[in-house]
Amino acid sequence: MMRLPTDKLQAIVDRLPTTRDEDWKYTDLSRAREITSRWLDAGGATVAAEIAEDIARITASIDADWFVIANGELRLPDEIPNVTAARVNAAPTAENALAELNTALLLDGLRVRIDGTPAKPVGILLIDGAADAATSQSYVDVEFAAHSSGELIEYHVSLGATDHYANGVVRIAVGDNASARHVRIQDRDLNHVQTGITHVSVGRDAKFSSAGFDLGGGLVRNDILIDIANPGADISFDGLYLAGDGQHIDNHTRVDHRVGPAISRQEYRGILNGKCRCVWNGKAIVHEGADGTDADQANHNLLLSEKAEIDAKPELEIYTDDVKCSHGTTVGQLDETSLFYLRTRGLDQGHATRVLMHAFAAGLVSRIPVEAAKATVGELVEARLAVLINTDEDFS
Amino acid sequence: MLDIKNLQSRIGGTEILRGLSLHVDAGEIHAIMGPNGSGKSTLAQVVAGHQDHEVTGGSVTFKGVDLLELEPEERAREGIFLGFQYPVEIPGVNNAYLLKAALNARRKHQGLDEIDAFEFLKLAKEKMAMLGMDPKFLNRGVNEGFSGGEKKRNEILQMAILEPELAILDETDSGLDIDALKAVAEGVNSLRDPDRAIILVTHYQRLLDYIEPDFVHVLSAGRIIKSGDKSLAFELEEKGYDWVREAANG
Ligand SMILES: Nc1ncnc2c1ncn2[C@@H]1O[C@H](COP(=O)(O)OP(=O)(O)OP(=O)(O)O)[C@@H](O)[C@H]1O
Ligand SMILES: [Mg+2]
Repeated sequence: MMRLPTDKLQAIVDRLPTTRDEDWKYTDLSRAREITSRWLDAGGATVAAEIAEDIARITASIDADWFVIANGELRLPDEIPNVTAARVNAAPTAENALAELNTALLLDGLRVRIDGTPAKPVGILLIDGAADAATSQSYVDVEFAAHSSGELIEYHVSLGATDHYANGVVRIAVGDNASARHVRIQDRDLNHVQTGITHVSVGRDAKFSSAGFDLGGGLVRNDILIDIANPGADISFDGLYLAGDGQHIDNHTRVDHRVGPAISRQEYRGILNGKCRCVWNGKAIVHEGADGTDADQANHNLLLSEKAEIDAKPELEIYTDDVKCSHGTTVGQLDETSLFYLRTRGLDQGHATRVLMHAFAAGLVSRIPVEAAKATVGELVEARLAVLINTDEDFS
Repeated sequence: MLDIKNLQSRIGGTEILRGLSLHVDAGEIHAIMGPNGSGKSTLAQVVAGHQDHEVTGGSVTFKGVDLLELEPEERAREGIFLGFQYPVEIPGVNNAYLLKAALNARRKHQGLDEIDAFEFLKLAKEKMAMLGMDPKFLNRGVNEGFSGGEKKRNEILQMAILEPELAILDETDSGLDIDALKAVAEGVNSLRDPDRAIILVTHYQRLLDYIEPDFVHVLSAGRIIKSGDKSLAFELEEKGYDWVREAANG
């Protein structure tokens, strides 16, 4: 596919959302624009850094059948039973400037279809490591066929001291009576920018369980859009963000309940320390006629520093009567009763506090929907937490 | 060992303990009974150091040390154990981790080395066997999803491993089936020692069939209004609390 001329690309970059857009009020993409413009000015070619060892290390850390997208280029693995994969070159029509940018600059898209019950999770490693400032795109389209039961891991990593901006689109379609379990790990370097949008659609009586872990990244924006257009869907998703100095992590979620009955649950948790800002915006729309909807959203934050900021906003829009909706957000402190309990067991205040922070994060690790990823995610979370709260203790 | 004199406390502006005195010597088992809301858990929590309770008068000394000056963890390391009426669930913290951390905090205070992983596992399994607990509970989150009875057994497990000098068990017998009650009693009795003391807060005389107390006290409206031996528990079972209250007021 021919790439658009640079001025046309630059025009898309200029249309990327700004803080004047309601949905982007707290998240300023200036850095993404700046990196992309700089990269386009320099010719828009990416010179890969030496990342083969990192790829080997990461794919060995979780037992999965791995696809690797390195600096936007896809490597297809050998055949995997029950998994059909293909390179796709054009992403479907763009709906906003981020998606347009994705379509315009995409090198390789990946389409995967899961039938039956594959032996291992499908892993997709999206890794960026470039010699100079660069921008990369990814497009991943995963279909869980009707009656299938499968697992998907997205692992986003970027390495190196040069500036990087990664922009991704993921589509997940869960067929009738299928069960899809999904984990997203984001462990980018702190000087890197990521925007990503995940579209999820579910069939009749389909089940989708997901958990996202944002451990790194300087500026990160995740959008997850879940569309329930068939009855019987059972959806749950968790998110954990661990933010320290210089990080900005924004999670926007939107669940459209178009028909009922259906269940959707989400729980996001964050630990923030140092000068950083996180955003959680959870929107649930129960459309007219979506009777029997059960929607629950929760967002809990621990702020360990006065310089840390959180903007938490649940948004429920309900246009029908027969619904059960709840939401809760907390910003604050650790549970006093739990602290007292630990202290009566002889743990000093500092130790008890660290244990509870560990527990706060580990609670989401322990119910991770993809068992094969649990140990590695647990280690990554512990390592990040150790830096964040300044301890080297082993809580296992 | 424990000397409480004229203790008064408040919480949220309400006076709860109103001049409570209690003396416990090493080797003794005391049972504290009393109506709901009379202040039994408050007493236990004040002794353990819960900061929500404001001590407005009186004194508490433990082995001659002014307890009220100590943080909850310091009291624990000195050898005080509180078995909670409502044990707290802490998902994400391994039961084994907490047991080991608690034991090591106490050992460090005693000038001992940390216990090694092998010795700890041996000790934990031995105590669990005594209490009829499946070793699988070691790898579960602290009280996470435990049934009411399992939580109480878990409190006793912590106690058995920590070997406190003073254990205060707040309604550890409530909600237990007969087997669990026997297991808990066994755990408590195994700790019985001339150097240790135990305070049992209970509503049921039944527990005292398994753990023979030296003293029974009636706590009412923040004060101990009557003390006696085991026969007092039978009398209470038969006649209720009004009888003691009337006698105390009259
Ligand atoms: N935070 C609080 N604010 C106000 N009053 C409180 C608070 N906590 C406890 N109380 C009151 O203190 C009183 C004593 O409570 P406590 O839990 O000590 O009773 P108890 O004797 O253990 O009762 P039970 O047998 O039901 O366990 C009760 O009336 C209770 O409502
Ligand atoms: Mg009580």
